[in-house]
Amino acid sequence: MADRIADVWGERTPFAAGERWPQRVDQFLTVPAERVERWVPSACVLCSNGCGMDVAVADGRIVGVRGRAADRVNHGRLGPKGLFGWQANNSRERLTQPLVRVGAELRPTDWETAMEVIVARSKEVLAEHGPLATAFYTSGQLFAEEYYAQTLIARGGIGTPHLDGNTRLCTATAEWALVESFGSDGNPGSYTDIDLCDTLFLVGHNAAETQTVLWSRMLDRLRGPDRPRVVVIDPRQTPTAREADVHLAIRPGTNVAVLNAILGELITHDWIDRAFVDAHTTGFPELAQVVADYPPQRAAEVCAVPAEAIREAARIIGTGSRLVSTVLQGVYQSHQATAAAVQVNNVNLLRGMIGRPGCTVFQMNGQPTAENTRETGANGALPGFRNWQNDVHVRELADAWNIDASRIPHWAPPTHAMEIFRHCEDGSIRFLWVTGTNPAVSLPELHRIRAIYGQDRLFLVVSDAFPTETTALADVVLPAAMWGEKTGCYTNADRTVHLSEQAVDPPGQARSDFEILLEYARRMEFTDNDGQPLVNWTCPEEAWRDFTELTRGRPCDQSALTYDKLRDSSGVQWPCTEQAPGGTERLYTNHDFFTAPDICEDYGHDLVTGAQNEADEYRAHDPDGRAVIKAAHYLPPHEPVDDEYPLRLTTGRKVYHWHTRTKTARAPQLQAAAPDAWAELHPDDAAQLGIADGDLVRVRSRRGAIEVPAVLRGHRPGVVFVPFHYGYFDQADPDRHNRAANELTRTEWDPVSKQPIYKVTAVRVQKIADAAVGGRPVVITEPGLSATRDDGTAGGTARGTAGGTARGTAGGTARGAS
Amino acid sequence: MNKIGKLLEELHDAETGLADEYRGVAERQSTDHGTHYPCHTLAAQCDQHAERIRAWAQRFGKDISAPKRSDALASAAGSLRHKASETFARRPESGLLLLRDLRQLYLKAEAVNIHWIMLAQVAQAVRDQELLEDVSGLHQQTLTQIKWLKTRVKDASPQILVVTD
Repeated sequence: MADRIADVWGERTPFAAGERWPQRVDQFLTVPAERVERWVPSACVLCSNGCGMDVAVADGRIVGVRGRAADRVNHGRLGPKGLFGWQANNSRERLTQPLVRVGAELRPTDWETAMEVIVARSKEVLAEHGPLATAFYTSGQLFAEEYYAQTLIARGGIGTPHLDGNTRLCTATAEWALVESFGSDGNPGSYTDIDLCDTLFLVGHNAAETQTVLWSRMLDRLRGPDRPRVVVIDPRQTPTAREADVHLAIRPGTNVAVLNAILGELITHDWIDRAFVDAHTTGFPELAQVVADYPPQRAAEVCAVPAEAIREAARIIGTGSRLVSTVLQGVYQSHQATAAAVQVNNVNLLRGMIGRPGCTVFQMNGQPTAENTRETGANGALPGFRNWQNDVHVRELADAWNIDASRIPHWAPPTHAMEIFRHCEDGSIRFLWVTGTNPAVSLPELHRIRAIYGQDRLFLVVSDAFPTETTALADVVLPAAMWGEKTGCYTNADRTVHLSEQAVDPPGQARSDFEILLEYARRMEFTDNDGQPLVNWTCPEEAWRDFTELTRGRPCDQSALTYDKLRDSSGVQWPCTEQAPGGTERLYTNHDFFTAPDICEDYGHDLVTGAQNEADEYRAHDPDGRAVIKAAHYLPPHEPVDDEYPLRLTTGRKVYHWHTRTKTARAPQLQAAAPDAWAELHPDDAAQLGIADGDLVRVRSRRGAIEVPAVLRGHRPGVVFVPFHYGYFDQADPDRHNRAANELTRTEWDPVSKQPIYKVTAVRVQKIADAAVGGRPVVITEPGLSATRDDGTAGGTARGTAGGTARGTAGGTARGAS
Repeated sequence: MNKIGKLLEELHDAETGLADEYRGVAERQSTDHGTHYPCHTLAAQCDQHAERIRAWAQRFGKDISAPKRSDALASAAGSLRHKASETFARRPESGLLLLRDLRQLYLKAEAVNIHWIMLAQVAQAVRDQELLEDVSGLHQQTLTQIKWLKTRVKDASPQILVVTD
C-alpha cells in the first residue's frame, strides 16, 4: 500500500526494449470493495495521457476508481490526480442550479428562465450587430460530441468565426508544429514507441509532473536492463531533468538557439539520414544554412549553458538508433513557440526517425480532450482537420450540414482566443459563452481580463461545474455535469480514443454541456437548407456518428469507430477505418506525409511573423507528400530583463493540481499536498535580496504584483518560478488579487500558433515580511527527490516546509491492488 | 554620378522610414497585441536591412550615415502614443485607425520592395554574386513583411468594417 501523494509514480516495474510494459493496477476506494455496486468504464480526464479507468459506483455516487489493466495507455496505472481527483464530483460546492445576474448579484433561477434570458439576448445581438458579435470560448475538458455541437452551432448556426478553446493556451503549438512540418495535426507515434526507444529527448516537457503515468512508463524503461539515454532541455531542475544524462538548463526563452545548435551538430558530424532527408523532406538546404550560424559556442552564450553539454546532447541524439522526442509547455508557452517546436520535428526528420517503431516525435497535449477540440473544429481549423482556404473542404462541410458554403465563415482563419478577447475589449463582440474553463485565472494579464469580462456591454454566459473566478463575472451561470455524469468520447496525445460512460446522475439540476447546447440550438431555431433543424440529435452517440462520418478520408479518419467498438476495446488509435478496423498504431509508416495541397490542413505560415501562405504559392512549391523542414533564427523575447525588472519569471504546473484547481482543490489529498502558491527563487538571487526561505515576497512585473512565500529551491540564477494554479475562489478576500501568477504575465502570443506567452516575463522580487512574522505557511511536496536512486526502491518524497507550521498531508489510501 | 550609390541611399531611406513607421504603429496600436509585437519585430528587421545597405554603399563609394534617432525623444513620443492607444482601446473607431496604420505600412513596405527589385537587377548586371545573394535574402524578408501585412489586414477587416455598433 503506497502513499501515492508521496510516491507519485508508484512501484517500479522495470522492462527492456521490446518487452510488454508490465501491468500494475492502481485503485482508490472510499468504501469497502464489497460495497461497490458496479464498475463503469471510462478514462481519466486530468491530463492528456488518457489512462483507461473504471469508475466505482455505490448508492448512486462515485466511490472510487481503478486503472484498467488491459488498457493500452496505462496498463492499469493511475496517477495521483486520477486516483484522487474524482472526489470533486461529490463536492458540496458544485453548482446545482442556474444563476442569473440581478444587479450586482447572481440569483438562483430555473432552467426555463435562464435559457430564455440567454436566447433573448443572443437573438438580440444577432439581429442588432450581426453574427460577428457572438463568440464561444470552450475547453479542453469536455467531450468530442460537445465540441462538435459547439462547432455546428457556431460555424453553421450563428455563422461566426469566433469559436476557440482554452486549448489555445495549452496545445495550439502542438497542433501547429505538426501542421507546419507534416501537413496535418495528429501525433505520428504511439506510446509503445517509449517501450522500444533507446534515446529520449524531452524539450520543455516535465513529464514526471504533467503526465505521471507516461513518466512511469519512461522510468520503467530507465530502470530496465537497457536504459535509454536521456537528454532534457528545461530551465528548471525538475524530477524529469534529474533523470537526464544531459540536462541543458537553458536561460528561459532560448529554445530556438539551443535546438539550432543541436541541429548544426547533427549536420556537422553527419549524424543525419541523408537518404531519408533527400527522399522524404523539403527545405533541408535552408535549414543547414540557418543552423550554421549557431555553433555550440554561440548557443552556449545565448542560452547560458556549457558548449560541451550541447555537444554531448547532440552526440547522444545523433548516435542513438531509436529516438523518441517530446515537447510541451516549456516550448509552447515561450516566445518563438512554433519555431522551436518545429525544430524538434526537424531533429527527428534529419535522423530519419519517424513513422517506425521506437522512432517518433510527440508534440504533447496538455488537456485530456484537447485533441477533440482540434479534430471537431472547435479551435484553429475546420472539422476533420479541414483547410479553411480550401473551397473543396468547405463545401464538404456545407454538404454534410446541408447549408450554403457561404454561411460557414472562411474568409480568414477561425478567430483565436486572444483575438476574441480583443474584440470583446473593443466592443465588437457583445455575447460571449464560456464553457468549462476559467479564463479569469488562466489567461495572461488578469486585470485586463477582469476588466473585459466585467463590461456591461458584454453579455457573458458561463457553464461550469463549480463557482469560479469567471462565473463571478457572468450574467448567466449554468450548472454543468462533469465527467462520470455524462457519456462521450475523447482522444489522448497518442490518438487513443476512449468512450466514457455515464456512471451517476449529475447533482441537483446540473445538465451536460451537450444537453445545454442542444437546448440552445433548439430555441435559436437554427435550420438547414430544407428548413429542418440544423442540430437534430437526441443523444451524444448520434453526434459522434455524424462527426466520425465527417472525418472519412481525412487524416483523422474515424469512420469505422463506433460506440460499440469502443465499448469492447482497451482504447483505439485513429485512423480507424474499414481498411484498418482495429485502429492504427503509427502514422507515416510509408513516409508519405499529409502535405499534398488537396489534403493539407493548412498551407502554413512564416515562422517569424505568422504571415499566411496561400494556395497558389503553396502549389508552386508543392511538397507533394514530403515533410516540410522549416528553419528559424533565434530572436530575443520582446520584454527584456533590465535594471528595474532584472529577473525572468516562468509559470508552470505542479503534479498535484490541475489548471485553476476547480477540481483538484476539492480532492482532500491533492489540496493538502499543495495548498497554496509560492515563488521559487535561486538561493543566490535570494541572498542578494536578503530573502530567507519562507519569507513573504512581492513579485512585481510591469503589469501587476503578487505576494507569496519564497522557496529557495531554484536551479538557475535569474529565474523565478510561480505555479499558475492558484486563484481566489478559496481566499478569505477574493477581491484582493495578490496570488495568481497571471497577474504578472503579459498579453503576447506566438505568431503562428497564437498561443499566449507565459514563460518569459521580466519581474523584480522584494521581501515584505519575515517568515516568522508575515510569511504564509508554505507546504511544498516535492515529488521524487530521491526517486533517482538506483537501488530500485520506490521514490521517496522530500517534503519541505518553510516558514510557519508544517502541514502534513492528509495522506492517501491508494492501494496497489496487483 | 554614382547611380548605384544613389539607389542604395534611396533604399536605405525607405528601410529606415519603414522602421520608424513600424515603431510608430507599434506604439499607436499598443493594445492591439497582434499588431504591436510583430511591428516591433519587423522594425528591428528593417534596422538590420539598413545596416547591410550601409555596408554595401561603402563598397560602391557612397557614405550613408546611420539614422540619428534621439532615443529620449523617440521614447517620449512612443509613450505618448502608447497612452493614447490605451485610452482608445475600448472604442469602436480604434479599428479604423488600425486599418489606416496597416495601409500606410503596406505602402511603405511596397516602396522598399520595388527598390530591392531594382538592386537585384543591378547585382545581376554588374555580375556581383555576393550582392545578389545578400539582396535575395533581404528582399525575401521584405516580401514576407508584405505578406504579413496582407494577412493582418485580411484577418482584421471584417470585424472592423462589418460589425454594426
